[in-house]
Amino acid sequence: MPVFKLCMKIFLKNWLSISLYVAIFLAIAIMISMSTMSEQNKSSSFSQEKAKVALISEEKTPLTEGFRQELAKSSDFVKLPDRTEALQDALFFRNVTYILRIPKGFTEDVLNGGSMQMEKTVVPNSTENAYVDINVEQYWNMARIYAKHEPKASEQQVVKQLKKNLSGSTPVTIKAHERAQTANSFSMYYFNFLAYTLSAVLIMGISTVMIVFNKRDLSRRNFCSPMRARSINTQLILANLLFAAISWAILVAFCFLLDSKSFATQNILFFIMNSAIFTACISSLSYLIGNLLKNLNAMSAVCNVLTLGPCFISGVFVPQEFLNSTVLKIASFTPTYWYVQANAKIATLTHFEWSDLEAIFYSMVIVLGFAIAFFALSLVIGKRKRLIN
Amino acid sequence: MIIHVKNLVKRFGELVALDHLSLDIKEGEIFGLLGPNGSGKSTAINCILSLLSYDKGEVEIFGKKMTPDAYDIKRDIGIVMQNVAVFEELTVYENIDYFCGLYVRNKAERKRLVEEALAFVELEDFRKFYPKKLSGGLLRRLNIACGIAHKPKLIILDEPTVAVDPQSRNKILEGIERLNAQGATIVYTSHYMEEVEQLCTRIVIMDKGRVIASGTKEELKAMITLGEKITVETFSIDEEQLIKLRELPGIVSVEHVDKRLIIKSGKGTNNLETVLDFLKTHEIGFGRIYSELPTLNDVFLEITGKQLRD
Repeated sequence: MPVFKLCMKIFLKNWLSISLYVAIFLAIAIMISMSTMSEQNKSSSFSQEKAKVALISEEKTPLTEGFRQELAKSSDFVKLPDRTEALQDALFFRNVTYILRIPKGFTEDVLNGGSMQMEKTVVPNSTENAYVDINVEQYWNMARIYAKHEPKASEQQVVKQLKKNLSGSTPVTIKAHERAQTANSFSMYYFNFLAYTLSAVLIMGISTVMIVFNKRDLSRRNFCSPMRARSINTQLILANLLFAAISWAILVAFCFLLDSKSFATQNILFFIMNSAIFTACISSLSYLIGNLLKNLNAMSAVCNVLTLGPCFISGVFVPQEFLNSTVLKIASFTPTYWYVQANAKIATLTHFEWSDLEAIFYSMVIVLGFAIAFFALSLVIGKRKRLIN
Repeated sequence: MIIHVKNLVKRFGELVALDHLSLDIKEGEIFGLLGPNGSGKSTAINCILSLLSYDKGEVEIFGKKMTPDAYDIKRDIGIVMQNVAVFEELTVYENIDYFCGLYVRNKAERKRLVEEALAFVELEDFRKFYPKKLSGGLLRRLNIACGIAHKPKLIILDEPTVAVDPQSRNKILEGIERLNAQGATIVYTSHYMEEVEQLCTRIVIMDKGRVIASGTKEELKAMITLGEKITVETFSIDEEQLIKLRELPGIVSVEHVDKRLIIKSGKGTNNLETVLDFLKTHEIGFGRIYSELPTLNDVFLEITGKQLRD
């Protein structure tokens, strides 16, 4: 298979320029992964916020001590001197967001069913303070109830009961309703960006080989030989397909390395399938470009136009929701648009019924249609060129 | 007959590139296709090799009809293109190996053939060089090696010495003679009449897609009315003396250009002695004097009225 081997040598000769695209892509992908990962952590995990509280108690009773211990669970205590100026400064500079003062005789008033209030000074609109309010209310209301219903109980006993009752906690797990794991995930962004990298890598690799082979004198020399034209073409196609498959596999493997969690989902199978079809389509397009272009100098310009153009208007870099309807209408004449659309649907997939998958397969079939059209066109042009030459 | 071409017609729109071209090339000869640029030499070669479709005519190679699918015929043909057709991405060795590999599958045999081709074009020291690093002459030699490595019976060389320095040109011409001596039939196209004259056993002169003359170089020269051409370096000769010189028997024309007297004789006459006597009698001072037989350019000039390199 001399033609096949030669193609492989030409691919290897161009590995540097091709790998440059891959490196740039991976750098962008890693940056995106970092930002999306941190966003995901914010929305999918729960940790209780703690308010910075200055507790000033003018009396020391078992109940106020119990209260201090209970409040410590949801607050960080900050020690402040009991001077108005110091307290105001602490609030202003946000050293504390809540100042709570237990006035003298407060415990006795509570135990006697009185309505004495604690003094509080807070930073306005601070969400953490809500927790402190709840804890304060909860503790002292419960103390009032115990005092009312068990008048013989000592303060220590009341504290013990309160501690027992308030020790219960509820674990919180945030689970958004019907939200797929891959929605807005790294994988979704990665597979969208893959449209750009795959286009650049494949056009660069396949078109280069085709342009070299289609040089008039070289192609004449090949077709003067006893090697059948069909065999030469088959070897060329095989070599290009192998290159496309290897490029695709490497890029998908990187996704696995960077976001292996997503590979546990069923969605990833559809991402992979969609990208494989897109790879076939871009391979055909590259084959066509290789048959149309005459010199390598024009190729890098064509490569940039054909990779960046469709990516910009099809929603690879900017989500399709933000794009103008006219732009999207124009984009729908490119396979990239349908690829991105399928990716967006795959990312939010939670059920895998035919009704959910239908739209995805529809997009894939369109991309496949583009692939067949490009390939047929390149065969016709290739044959016509050979006859004219 | 190795190649038989009959009434080949090729049109490019309005332009008739080949106008009922007929050729017969015999086994073992070095056949020259001579003509100015644009005379249809390369088009003829491309049609013969089925690289170009043609409008009319017949082409037979090795006694079989030549078609784009005649792979058994192609096996015994070697082609050296007018332009250097090698892969920039491959070294000298890899290029020869690749083109040889299109004909020879056996790896060991191919290796031997590639080594022989390298030695033949004297590129052994450049085997690891990429084409970019080679000079024009070396590139041409690589181009030839790629076309002949598989030891074809018929070698077609389409202007292989264009833009080549004299040293490389001589090497190429010597190589072609050696290939012919080894048994290959050579078809050589060129617009350099000196090369064709030196190399070819039989010549066809083409112009405007037609054969205007064919035969051995002696036969071609015999076609024209001119004989020898005498050139005399002289400084002064007056108009009256020129008229008298023209009137001498056997003289066809006399011109005095750039202090050189060019005297053309009729076919079969020998006027050197007569001219020398005339110069002495009329006391015309002269420097060098030399006599040439007619060239293919004279043949072309007489038939078409224009120079080969027009």
